[in-house]
Amino acid sequence: MAVIKLQDIARSYKVGQVQVMALKKIDLNIEKGEFVSIMGPSGSGKSTLLNVIGCLDRPTAGTYELSGKRVEKLRDGVLADIRNQFIGFVFQRFHLLPRLNALENVQLPLIYRGLVGKERRNRAKKALEMVGLSDRIHHTPSQLSGGQQQRVAIARAISMEPAVILADEPTGSLDSGSSKNIMGVFNQLNREYGITIIQVTHDEEMTAYGDRVIRILDGEIEKIDVVNAS
Amino acid sequence: MDKKNYFYSIFVRWWFAAKMAMHGILANPLRSALTILGVTIGVTSVVSLMGIGEGARQAVVAQFESLGANVITIKAHHVSAEFDAEYTKELVERVDGLEMATPVIQTKALMRWRRTRGHAEIVGVNNEFPQVRDHGLLAGRFFTSLHVKQRSKVAVLGYNIGIELSGGRNVVGQTLALNGETYRIVGILSQKGAGNAEDIDDKIVIPYTSAQKIAEKRTVEEIWGKAAGKREADLAVVQLSRIIKKDLRMGQSAPTGKGGGPSEKETVMRVSNGEMWVGSKPQSEEESEPPLPEVGEDIVTITNLNQLVKEADNANRVMTLLLGGIAAVSLLVGGLGIMNIMMVAVNERTEEIGVRRALGAKQSDLLLQFILEALYVSIIGSIVGIVTGIWGLKLFENIGFQTAISLKAIRIASVVALTSGLLFGVYPAVSASSVPPVEALRRQ
Repeated sequence: MAVIKLQDIARSYKVGQVQVMALKKIDLNIEKGEFVSIMGPSGSGKSTLLNVIGCLDRPTAGTYELSGKRVEKLRDGVLADIRNQFIGFVFQRFHLLPRLNALENVQLPLIYRGLVGKERRNRAKKALEMVGLSDRIHHTPSQLSGGQQQRVAIARAISMEPAVILADEPTGSLDSGSSKNIMGVFNQLNREYGITIIQVTHDEEMTAYGDRVIRILDGEIEKIDVVNAS
Repeated sequence: MDKKNYFYSIFVRWWFAAKMAMHGILANPLRSALTILGVTIGVTSVVSLMGIGEGARQAVVAQFESLGANVITIKAHHVSAEFDAEYTKELVERVDGLEMATPVIQTKALMRWRRTRGHAEIVGVNNEFPQVRDHGLLAGRFFTSLHVKQRSKVAVLGYNIGIELSGGRNVVGQTLALNGETYRIVGILSQKGAGNAEDIDDKIVIPYTSAQKIAEKRTVEEIWGKAAGKREADLAVVQLSRIIKKDLRMGQSAPTGKGGGPSEKETVMRVSNGEMWVGSKPQSEEESEPPLPEVGEDIVTITNLNQLVKEADNANRVMTLLLGGIAAVSLLVGGLGIMNIMMVAVNERTEEIGVRRALGAKQSDLLLQFILEALYVSIIGSIVGIVTGIWGLKLFENIGFQTAISLKAIRIASVVALTSGLLFGVYPAVSASSVPPVEALRRQ
């Protein structure tokens, strides 16, 4: 079953007088449990695509089904709930709130979900355990290394048990050791827990972890490569 | 999710917004402190300046209130208009709201007390005087109507004179001489305080019948009356003006009694700021009249002391509000400081806003957070400002100002501070919450 069904998705911006087509006509299905990489040179529209998939941005045309639900025309407030429930974001620069410790950071989306008390804390603890950080739950971001911070961010993304994790260059600001570690975490989450992962990257090496590589050029899907399972 | 849990989760959400707002303030302690200082200065100046104004107002009101409540004074400025003492009783009967009245003769006499001599100021009144002017007695008693009728030579001393003469011993029952005649001291009035208009503390009160003899005249210049209440006092002034006008045969200018009524009342209202004149010399129509003062000069004034109090009160209230208004400008500046700092904060935290939106925060969550942040600043600023304002008032008190901690000022200051915090916090908060998440995340 496809978690994400994009049909004829287009997204255009107006820059001054010029209409810029960031996405032209995207048709894409992503199955549950898949690990997909999106690749493309800068300006190719891959970030726009990720924003559309993440319900941060609305397409100007086309339909988008997320877990069987049409979402392309929903109101902002409803989209916030959709993001909260179905999508886990992992950003290049982690974006943890600096004054909160790891446990509190992971609880952030759970608060917006309306979870309270022990249940919220337990879920956050479990998520931190899944990324292997159970011994660092009371550390603030400044007390953690880049790789650890990104793992907290991943824990934050999976704490809601989302349908899909969207990672925007998750290893973009990490050294190669930490990068491998993070990709290992993704791989494990994908294999062991069957979590769907979509990552945007321009590092060819990182695509090796996925099942498919979607190559984007000028707002269109250039080609889709299937990664040989090694 | 059951209902209880639903409300609890909303509460958690709000609590979190409140916590994040606090983090926002703590993230930049110096900057927040300076913003709070701006509000504090505003609130402090409102509280202390209005406190000083209020203190001045209360002082003036207290002074006027020492004259007695609901007192109406009628004063003739010309010999031809002076009253017969019996006229007092007539007025009490004819004017509805007027409860009692006393003729008043103010004069001077040579006083001898044991071996000292001097001039004394004499007030001649009837036995109702203490009730009319709300005077209490320190010792002895006031003279009675019998004393008045019989022209008894009895005297009640004003507080200062009484203290001075007695030198600590009781003087009630002893005698003093006024213009060579012996008067028995029957009582001493209690203190009215310095600075009140009649200076009764320094005078000697005797029956008006006796005073007439000292002053060598049969008429009285003044009548002091007391009305039953505030409303009655206002009405009594109107009635008195009509009666006295008529009795002085000067009411002819109004064509008919009925027709002239309302318009006359209007004039009364217009000039009832305490003093109003009852007729002047009519345009020399009646040559036979005794010589009157110049045209336009008052010959009888009727004064409602309530009105004087109100007047003074109003003048000071305006003054207080003016001071408060000036101070409120600085409060406004404090509010602008909040807005300025909030704009910076929103700009700085666009990234955070974007992340939070991505994780499921709604616009309302961010709106709440930033408004709360602005409110914290104004709340802390108000509290500190009220405390320093009161402390400042104490300082002013020490250097001799009469002050009053005015609850109104505190209320005004905190309401203005809070609303300005809210008002100036709303715009940055709205702009924070309306940044599209994509936009907020892109600005890195």
